[in-house]
Amino acid sequence: MTEFKWVGKVVPRVDGVEKATGRLRYLTDVGLPGLLHGRIKRSQYPHALIKGIDTSRAEALPGVVKVLTHKDVPGVNGFGIIVPDQPVFCREKVRYIGDAVAGVVAEDPAVAEAALDLIEVEYEPQPVVDDAEKAMTSDSPRVHEKGNIHQEVHVRHGDVEAGFAQADLIIENVYKTPRQMHTFLETEGGLAFYDEEGLLNVWVGSQYPQRDQLQIARVLGLNPRKIRVVSSPTGGGFGGKDEITIQTQLALMAFVTKRPVKLWLSREESVISGWKRHPMTLYYRTGFKRDGSLVANEIKIIGDTGAYASLGGPVVSLAVESSCGPYRIPHVKIDGFCVYTNNGVAGAFRGFGVPQSTFAMETQLEIAREKLVLDPIEIRKKNVLRRGDIAPLGHTMTASVGILNTLERAEKSDLWCQREKLKSQTPFPWKKRGVGVAIALQGTGLGVGIPDYGAAIVELTEEGQFIVRIGSPEIGQGNMTAYAITAAEALGCDLALIKVVTGDTRNSPDSGTSTASRSAYTGGNAILDAVAKLKPKLLAVAGEMLGVDRAGLRLAGNRIVSPQGRGITLAELGRYLREKGLEAGARGNFVWPTADVQIPGAEGLPHLVYTYVTQMALVEVDTLTGKVELREAATALDAGRVLNRQGLEGQAEGGMVMGAGYALMEDIIIEKGYFKTMNLSTYIIPTSLDLPERHQVELVEVLEESGPYGAKGAGEAVMVPISPAITSAIHDAVGVRLKEMPAAAERVYQGLRGEEHGQ
Amino acid sequence: MNLVEVEFTLNGERQKVIVPPRTTLLEVIREHLGLTGTKKGCGKGECGACTVLLDGEAVLACLTLISQAEGHAVTTIEGLAKGEQLDPLQEAFIEEGAIQCGYCTPGMILSAKALLRKNPSPTQEEIKTAIAGNLCRCTGYVKIIKAVQKAGRRSAEVAAHD
Repeated sequence: MTEFKWVGKVVPRVDGVEKATGRLRYLTDVGLPGLLHGRIKRSQYPHALIKGIDTSRAEALPGVVKVLTHKDVPGVNGFGIIVPDQPVFCREKVRYIGDAVAGVVAEDPAVAEAALDLIEVEYEPQPVVDDAEKAMTSDSPRVHEKGNIHQEVHVRHGDVEAGFAQADLIIENVYKTPRQMHTFLETEGGLAFYDEEGLLNVWVGSQYPQRDQLQIARVLGLNPRKIRVVSSPTGGGFGGKDEITIQTQLALMAFVTKRPVKLWLSREESVISGWKRHPMTLYYRTGFKRDGSLVANEIKIIGDTGAYASLGGPVVSLAVESSCGPYRIPHVKIDGFCVYTNNGVAGAFRGFGVPQSTFAMETQLEIAREKLVLDPIEIRKKNVLRRGDIAPLGHTMTASVGILNTLERAEKSDLWCQREKLKSQTPFPWKKRGVGVAIALQGTGLGVGIPDYGAAIVELTEEGQFIVRIGSPEIGQGNMTAYAITAAEALGCDLALIKVVTGDTRNSPDSGTSTASRSAYTGGNAILDAVAKLKPKLLAVAGEMLGVDRAGLRLAGNRIVSPQGRGITLAELGRYLREKGLEAGARGNFVWPTADVQIPGAEGLPHLVYTYVTQMALVEVDTLTGKVELREAATALDAGRVLNRQGLEGQAEGGMVMGAGYALMEDIIIEKGYFKTMNLSTYIIPTSLDLPERHQVELVEVLEESGPYGAKGAGEAVMVPISPAITSAIHDAVGVRLKEMPAAAERVYQGLRGEEHGQ
Repeated sequence: MNLVEVEFTLNGERQKVIVPPRTTLLEVIREHLGLTGTKKGCGKGECGACTVLLDGEAVLACLTLISQAEGHAVTTIEGLAKGEQLDPLQEAFIEEGAIQCGYCTPGMILSAKALLRKNPSPTQEEIKTAIAGNLCRCTGYVKIIKAVQKAGRRSAEVAAHD
């Protein structure tokens, strides 16, 4: 077994002290002299034509510097990662209640707020499209001229009817999933200003500064090189800051006024304007043999992407990719539809479509398992993918596949071994306990057909530090620490000598987005490439300085030493390089490997490298009220080699709780296009009091050869299968089979009374 | 304009501000005095990110009008460390990995500080109750609870030595 100095060890976060002391300046904390304040005028209707916008009264208000509308957009009046279909400021139509119609820039926030009410917009309300399935019909009112179906994905593999002909049992159901909100603690905000070099700076927490830069440039009709985007640190992202949030509007405010402007959304504004997890309706028809083997799956998935596309197409594609779970199914027919409505906007969110289809598939499997009287672990072991298998989408699983390993590890967890005892320990006769298990795979990286690359610059300073520059921002997930660990291990130096810079278009190279569980893997590989180039050069120069052969030299702590014990410090080497005008850094690059087939029309499908996870839940259901409590949980995760042990545990713990929130309580309710849950008093996320007594986390290290030291991604998979594990545990406890989440008390109570699981 | 004059101590230093009466303690701390360690997550008392200490008790700065601070001692996250010597809670949060995005961290630490002041060896349940008003979306709270327990133990050891 390889001995590592830093990889897999418990180390403090590199940004820990700054965060614990409050010294770290988030981008919403930064102020500047003469700062103006921006506000956004949002739509009054979920769907309406704009007949006129009169800004004259607002402009006349003392203290107002500028009122902006679509007329002030010099470039393309639109943004969106895949298609720029969302207006910066709406011109002829509003499509959701958070749509931006105008912006105000004022000397004072209160004046800016007051000016919003003075902007007069004349609307002609249109019929609200609030049901994604109805929106697909030809007689539905249109959200966009091109029609309401934004994107379709169709997968055919094997012969699904022949598959069903072989089946001894066919299970057919419809599933519905809620609209989850990221609920990052720092709402969307930041500032924009011109610096002394004449660059337009846009400092807004986000997940991909280089793409923000391009989107802003397109809106302003400006060379991207005239724009600097800083997007790190960020007070939480979870996918909700992958797309543009406020950057284009804020940049325009500074571009037009030529003065520094701050724009920071209130929580309510964040709720109505921001991205959400796609609610989906999933039709499943699944065929099993008597022994539990899966033979056929026919699936239709409809995702409600709301008013604009953003990443809705790829989200539905990933739901399709994971719709058969981590199972071998020879015959499949899968159709996915991403549909426009006036229900807010949906986009990227941790899990990216996978939580929705995993809930459906795992419930299908449980229903079949019960009918076939099979053990929940055994039926999964029988069907799970192994390396070399052909996956349901038709590609070969050539990368590491650790799903069986996670099942075997979870089977040995305390929760599972002691489940009968734990279930019997109910404090009151009206409280019933049950256990559930579920498994998932999550594609990592962007998948086949989408450019997916990483870059890192590693350089030695005159102070004897190594600076590691990688664009993918730190959004809380800990990639800075993972980068420091990877670099220190590869260089052979002290961890404390590594300084990491992320999330800045000027100071860190484009390494792609901090999403898709990709940043540690991508950036890590780029670091290894950079170090492989840099280290021999450093040793050669050190050899020159010491007058010895470089062959025996090695880096140890903060020194380069020879076998004879002679050495120089890294600071001495750094100064020498500078004095001699020699290169003190190197750039490393990495391009993702991709699968051997491509699904036409579905960007990114399929993936090659997947993360695998098994999760288990012990719940307690109050049969008098329907209230469900998660009492214990277990996670067995295969994310390849563990780079940062504490960080990975933290991902697993936080992800599990986010998935439990999805299963039990979280749903943004929109009625006829209007939000009914506007804040954190009505949209409830788990608090410390919702925690289970115990969550056992097991890290199963099935090494992935293409990853840095064998690591894969982890950020998303950890929130996925806990939801169906919880709903299966509810069934185990009280016999109620939920096909719709969340498992709120009302829904469970209706189930207990034998009523239909109502809306 | 109608203004109020308010005097209080902030992290041990006397402060006097003259502001409109509707101004919140959070606005004074962040915008007038420029201490941005205290965070704003909702402005409505729903998330706990703005938690500060008022005479040692945890309060939500976004729901505290500045006049309520008159004559009182306010402690923010910046006032917890003694020079470079971090508070045991700050050390424990770092060591236990209780920080991810870090936006809830200042409020979380101050809620825990108020708890430990009154109860240096809290049970897990007591910790959960004390931080129930502080939302964290990243960590799942597990390591936060461990960090508070560890800081409590460490403070008790230090106290025993004194």
